[in-house]
Amino acid sequence: MLTNDELKKITADKVVDARGTACPGPLLAAKRAITEVKREGIMEILSSDEGTRRDIPKWSDKMGHEYLGCLDESGYFRIFLKRMK
Amino acid sequence: MNKKMCIGLFSGSVDKLTAAGIILSGAAAQDMDVDVFVLLMGAHAFKKENAEKLDNIAELPHLKEQFFESLKRLKVSTWMNFFKEAKELANVKIHICGLAGKLWGGEKIEDFVDFADDICGIGEYISAAEEADIHMFI
Repeated sequence: MLTNDELKKITADKVVDARGTACPGPLLAAKRAITEVKREGIMEILSSDEGTRRDIPKWSDKMGHEYLGCLDESGYFRIFLKRMK
Repeated sequence: MNKKMCIGLFSGSVDKLTAAGIILSGAAAQDMDVDVFVLLMGAHAFKKENAEKLDNIAELPHLKEQFFESLKRLKVSTWMNFFKEAKELANVKIHICGLAGKLWGGEKIEDFVDFADDICGIGEYISAAEEADIHMFI
């Protein structure tokens, strides 16, 4: 896990904008998009769905990726993970 | 080896089909193999001519209008799209129970939606349920 300051400095290799879609939309968008990220690359998921900030860490762990953390912006979340396999 | 989920899908109502679609999408996102066995009333929904125009719900029928409006406002996929998308993401198979199909005039797999895989018997469902890591009946 990174600190908020460290997360703010990240320029992700892939940004998935899933704002405006309800669960499980952001999770499915993340699942699709991870294939476009190289190994050790960083993916950022934008979601306005509260459940996603809890879903992505669990999903990331299960898939063997590294969850880096989440920034709470006004009205949406920026969720970061590193593709590990 | 991937974990396995088995769903016995008895319901042919949009509310329960949507729940089934969301659950199997979540499983597909985690690379689980999913077998869906479409039973009695479910097979009605999967008939080619019924799937698109389905608008019955099983729970809280007096709030049907609100339910459909909310799904639209929240940009929730249709139940059919959940099934189709899950099939694109993972190993998801949709089996139509032979008896259920016949109840609604469906003899061949071609009589059902194009994302249905095959016609099966109850033995296959029981075996899949027995072998699955998660089994649910909807």
